[in-house]
Amino acid sequence: MPKKNKTAPARGQLTIGLPRALLYARYGTLWLTFFEKLGIQTLVSEPTTLETLNRGSDRAIDEMCLAVKIYLGHVDSLVGKCDYILVPRISNFGVRRAMCTTFEGMYDICCNVYRRSGQKFLAYNVDVDLGHDEMTAFFAMAGEIGVPVNEALVAYRAAKKAEARAWKARLEEQEALAKCPGLKVLVAAHSYVAEDEYIGKPITDFLHGAGVTALRADIVDRKAALKQSEKFSPTMRWELSREIAGGICQYGERVDGIILLSVFPCGPDAMTSDIYIRRLKGVPILNLVLDAQSGMAGVETRLESFVDILRFKHGEL
Amino acid sequence: MGKKKMEVPKKVAFPMAANYNYAFRYFVEQGLGARYIMQPPMTRKTLEIGTRYSPDSVCTPFKTTLGSTIEALECGADTLVMLFGTCRLGYYGELQEQILRDLGYQFDYINLATYTTGKNRDYFKAIGRVNPKVNPVKVVPAAMDTVKMAEYIDEITAQYYLNCGFELERGAYKRALNQFWTDMDRAASHQDIEEGYQRVKSAFQGIPLRKEEPLRVGIIGEYYTVQDAFSNLELEQKLADMGVEVHRWMNVSHRNLHYSGEKNLNVRVRDLTRFSMGPTSTANIWCARDYAERGFDGLIHVKSACCTPEIQIMPVLQNIGADYKIPILYLTYDSQTSDTGLMTRLEAFYDMISMRKKVIR
Repeated sequence: MPKKNKTAPARGQLTIGLPRALLYARYGTLWLTFFEKLGIQTLVSEPTTLETLNRGSDRAIDEMCLAVKIYLGHVDSLVGKCDYILVPRISNFGVRRAMCTTFEGMYDICCNVYRRSGQKFLAYNVDVDLGHDEMTAFFAMAGEIGVPVNEALVAYRAAKKAEARAWKARLEEQEALAKCPGLKVLVAAHSYVAEDEYIGKPITDFLHGAGVTALRADIVDRKAALKQSEKFSPTMRWELSREIAGGICQYGERVDGIILLSVFPCGPDAMTSDIYIRRLKGVPILNLVLDAQSGMAGVETRLESFVDILRFKHGEL
Repeated sequence: MGKKKMEVPKKVAFPMAANYNYAFRYFVEQGLGARYIMQPPMTRKTLEIGTRYSPDSVCTPFKTTLGSTIEALECGADTLVMLFGTCRLGYYGELQEQILRDLGYQFDYINLATYTTGKNRDYFKAIGRVNPKVNPVKVVPAAMDTVKMAEYIDEITAQYYLNCGFELERGAYKRALNQFWTDMDRAASHQDIEEGYQRVKSAFQGIPLRKEEPLRVGIIGEYYTVQDAFSNLELEQKLADMGVEVHRWMNVSHRNLHYSGEKNLNVRVRDLTRFSMGPTSTANIWCARDYAERGFDGLIHVKSACCTPEIQIMPVLQNIGADYKIPILYLTYDSQTSDTGLMTRLEAFYDMISMRKKVIR
C-alpha cells in the first residue's frame, strides 16, 4: 500500500501538467476526470505545432521516433509551470500485451533529460507482470501527491465511468461513419499519431476535403480486437498494435482502402506494417511513414494518387 | 502420422549468433539426436540478402539473422528454431517465417515465441517438436554441458579481448583461440569440452604479455550487436589491435545464465532510473556506471540502427558521462556502416582518450 506523502503541498494549490501527446490520446479522459474529482488543478499542454516539434527535437536523441520528439516538446512547454508533470510508464498488461519499450522508459527519459531543471515528474506505472495494474498505478500516484487511498478509489471509479462513456460515444460515432455511403478509407495508426494536431490531423482533414470518409482502426471494441488479432498474428506482442490489427480485421472489409500511417522510426510499426502488407490480400494499402517534414506537399501527392486509384477501381474516374 | 516420419533425423539450424552456434550444435546433436546444419560465417552477402527482404526500419539483427537463416536453408536445413525476447525480438520469428514462406522456402519452423504463456516450463514443449522420441536421460546432461560450453565460450572470449593486444609474439592469442573454436566445434562429449577448455586456458597462460598501465575501454550496448563480431565490424578486435584492454560485461553467461535479476540490479542504479527501461537497459546502465567508477578511460555504446531500448538509455548515459567525466563514443550500426568509417572514429576516439590520460596523470 503506498504511503501518504506528507511533504507534498496542499492539494488545493497543486497543479499537474499533462503533455498532450502519446498516451494522452488514450488516457486523457481517465486522468483528467481523476484529478478533477480530487479537486486538483490540471494543465494540459497546447496542441502540437512546428515549434513543439522543434523544441522536442532539441531535447531528444536524434534517433528517437517522431512521436517521442513531439512528446518531449510538450513536456518542455510544461516544465516550470506545474508542480508535477504526469508521465506514464507502462510496461505491459499481461502476457503478449506489452507496450513498445518507449513507454517503458518514458518516465526515466524525462527524469534524465530534465535532471537539472528541478521539475518533478509523477509516475503512472503499470506493469501487470510485476503486479502493478491500472488501479495500483492510480493509488501509487495518489500516494505520491498526498491523497488518501479511499478518496483515490472514489475518484478512480468515477474516472473509469467517464472513460467508458466517452469511449462508447466514440465507438458509436465511428459506427455511424462506417455506414456512410461513398468512398471509405481505414486509417491504421496509433491514436497519438492520428489525433496529433500537427502530424495526423492534416491527413484526416485532407481525406475529408477529398470527399473520403476516414475510419480509424484504433477506435474499436478493444476486447474483441485483441481476440481477432490473435488469429491474425499469433505472436504480435504490442497491445496497441494488436488493437489496430483487430481494427483492421473488423473494418477491413467495409472500406475501399487502408492507409498504414506510422512515424519514423516506429519500432512496432516497422514490423507490423510489413505483416499487414504481406497478409492482407485484395485491399489497396498505402504505407505512409511520417518524419519531421515541414511541408505537406509530398504527403498530399501520395494521398491524392491513392484516392485516385480507389476512385478508378470504383469506376468513378 | 507425424511420428512415423521422424525416422529420419531433422536437420536443425539457428541463425548465426556470435560464437554460440557451437553450443547450439552440441545441444541439438548430443541432446536431441537431430542433425545440426552450421551455415557459413556471416559475410557482407548475408547482410545484403537479409536487407533485401526485410522492412526498412527494422533493427539490423533482424536483417543479419534473416540472411543467415536463408543461408542455412540453402545448406539443407529443414527445421529452423527462432529465439524470442522482450523487445522487437519477440516478433522476429513470425515476420521472418512469413518472409521465408513468401519466398517459397519449405521448412518446419519452431518459433519459441509461440510458447510464451507466462510459465517458463512451457518452452520445453518445443523440444518435442525437434524430436518427439527425445530421450530425457540424454537431454538433461546435454543441456548442462551446453550451458557449461556457453560459459567457457564467454570466459575465453573475455580473456582474449582483455589480453590479445599486449602479446609479445603477434598472433599467438589468435592461434590459441582458433584451436578452441575447432575443439568446441568438434566436441561430442563432456570430456571434449573440458579438454578444449583446459587446452586454451594453458595456451593463454603460456603467452608472454607486456602490459603497463593500458588504456581500458568498456563496451556496452545492444545484446546482439555488441556480442556478434560480424555485426559490430570486429570492434573489439580493432580496439585490441590498437593496444587497448577491452572489457565487455554483456554476454549470455552474465545476462541470461547468472543474471541477478532486473529488480536486484535496478537497486544499484535507482538514482539514475526508477524503473526498468527495457530488456537490457538496467544492465547497461549499471555496467556503464560500474566501468566509470572503476576509472575506465572510455566507454563505447554499441547498438543497431532503430534499436529503441538502447536509444532510450542514451540520455542516462549522457548523464553518467557528465557525472564521472568519462568519454563515451556512441556507435550505431546499420546495413551500410563501413569498416573505414568505423576505423576513423575509433582512431580519433583512441587518440583522444590516450592524450586525455596523459594530461590527467
